[in-house]
Amino acid sequence: MDVLIQTLVAGVLIGGIYCLIGIGMSLIMGVMGIINLAHGQLMMVAMYITFVLSSYMHVDPYFSLIVAMPALFLLGCFLQKYLLNPLMKVDSILPENQVLMTVGIGMVIAEICRFIFTSDYKTVKTSYGGEAFFIGNISFNVPMCIAFIFAVVITLILFWFLAKTDTGRSIRATAQDKEAATLMGVNSTRITIITFGLGSALVASAGSLLIPIFYLFPDIGGPFTLKAFVICILGGLGSTAGAIFGGLTLGLAESLGATYIGMGYKEMVGFVIFIIALVFLPGGLVGIKRLIKS
Amino acid sequence: MRVLKILMVFLLSVTLCFTFGVSSSMAADSVKVGIVLPLTGAQAKFGEVEKLSFDLALEEINAAGGINGKKLELLIEDDTGRPDVGRSVVEKLITKDKVVLIGGGYSSSVTYAVAGVCQQNAMPFLVNTGSADKITTSGWDWIYRLNPPVSHYADAVESLLVQVIKPKTVAILYENSLFGTKGASSFEKTCKRLGIKVLLKQGYEHGGIDYKPVLTQIKRHNPDIIYMVSYIMDASLLMKQSREMKLTPKMFVGGAAGFTLPEFVDNAGKASDKVISATLWHQVLPFPGAMDYYNKFVAKYNRPTEYHGAEAYAACYVIADVLKRTKSFKNTDIKKALSETDMMTVFGPVKFITWGKMKNQNKAATYVVQWIDGKLEMVWPEESKTKTFNYPVDWLKVWGY
Repeated sequence: MDVLIQTLVAGVLIGGIYCLIGIGMSLIMGVMGIINLAHGQLMMVAMYITFVLSSYMHVDPYFSLIVAMPALFLLGCFLQKYLLNPLMKVDSILPENQVLMTVGIGMVIAEICRFIFTSDYKTVKTSYGGEAFFIGNISFNVPMCIAFIFAVVITLILFWFLAKTDTGRSIRATAQDKEAATLMGVNSTRITIITFGLGSALVASAGSLLIPIFYLFPDIGGPFTLKAFVICILGGLGSTAGAIFGGLTLGLAESLGATYIGMGYKEMVGFVIFIIALVFLPGGLVGIKRLIKS
Repeated sequence: MRVLKILMVFLLSVTLCFTFGVSSSMAADSVKVGIVLPLTGAQAKFGEVEKLSFDLALEEINAAGGINGKKLELLIEDDTGRPDVGRSVVEKLITKDKVVLIGGGYSSSVTYAVAGVCQQNAMPFLVNTGSADKITTSGWDWIYRLNPPVSHYADAVESLLVQVIKPKTVAILYENSLFGTKGASSFEKTCKRLGIKVLLKQGYEHGGIDYKPVLTQIKRHNPDIIYMVSYIMDASLLMKQSREMKLTPKMFVGGAAGFTLPEFVDNAGKASDKVISATLWHQVLPFPGAMDYYNKFVAKYNRPTEYHGAEAYAACYVIADVLKRTKSFKNTDIKKALSETDMMTVFGPVKFITWGKMKNQNKAATYVVQWIDGKLEMVWPEESKTKTFNYPVDWLKVWGY
């Protein structure tokens, strides 16, 4: 029984971080209709910012959220405004081909970081880094619990932003129907820029929260982009609530797979669920909701 | 806009000419040897220690006259830790750079791929770190190996287990590429031979974040010892998370690689203390120049070195010796000179013989080290020890609970 509870706890805690990674990509996918394949690399940039702040100015990783998130927001806006938006103006390039541009952006970012920081593994050591508290026999890793709480808070703030503010509503409107939104007076170009920035900021928060637990090197982005993609599909493209479901599902699936099937098959469990979702539930969670309604 | 385009074309052509110019200005009276190491990617840390050791040895060799007056030149290429890249860089070294010998080889999977290419091209390859058995059990006569095969890594650990720890059960955790898989299966065979029951044997994908699920399972099985074959970051995370879970077997045993690097104690902190590991070399061993090499390395690069660095340093000296003795730089003459090698290096005696199922394999001993107060101390065999083996260990106390 202990093994099961420990597994579930581990799955939920990592699921929280996965949610943050997935929500960013889901937003971008919903509004712009493109898969941001540079997502993992943006997270890596945030992790390097956190690392630099921690090593040279001894800023705690959780406080560097305040720096990393706005910095990545600006980077995201910059990328969308000067690299991705101009592509949309060229008629011969299909909107879907913006994906290729994100691949290029990802590679450039990764190599620039490798050039500055080399391929060495970097870690951020905190006083609470390896600490754990016990409830009964179940061990809770302190940094992961803090990360989970932050993830919940950030997600709640995001939902409030999307539901209650003008900009948030404009984002949702653009995601639902770009032309109709433009007709209603929403500046869709500005919204795409803000959305990419917002998506980047969200994945930046995931990075800063992850670095006390894991380690950092320029190639860390790839696997996380894949995970974000799986989460988006599980939750339904463009649905932020779905991304939460997707993140938790993936976290739990990997954890249960690691315990009961074997740790070498952990990644495989995620991908098997991905394929099952694609075959039987192509709309993800949103698809199920629609099915239930109709 | 037009000006910009012309400027870009001009800059690109200048860059192209530059690269061609540089490559053709190589000195004519130097001997070129290709070295394949992971300089970037997941194994860059190991590649770096080996590259720096090669550089150190190269400086000394050339200062002492090089290869009978000619300069020895090492072309160090990056395999990025991937076998396909390893294959293409060694093909480049053989066909384009026309090297006379290939050295290096860190990760077993990359080394095996590179060895295949060398065997096909009749190019002598001196492996100094890649340890999977099949690199020298495949009957490839152009491949020579300085380091012991992974099936023998735990030889010294074996005698320590039998004489001191006497465990009845073991859990084996290994990273699931060639190195870990082979290391784990040979240790499993050793356990069967010694009558130790293997309760759990699990592979994991190298680079994982959370090992709690498998550690929970191990905790439930409660083995006497846990044997782990891991690269550096996994080793640190495994020990950190074992400490978080209060997992307390009689002993944690590492199968070399990640467990002997200084980065292990840097990253795992308290969780690394009193962990033991198999190792292939330690600076206190009575090989001429071993301590000197260690001190020179620390003085020059301001960081410690360990067995991977020693392997590279010794390999460079073996390469120099072979090239000095060879009749000509034809591949068959170099191969003959390699087969006739019989010398002492900082890594120990080097002679390539056929033993067990292996061809051209050097027979080197292994040892056991333990992390005591942040330093890697030699604890077994008894004759070579620097500190007494700390056992039994009160893990909760060591971990600060």
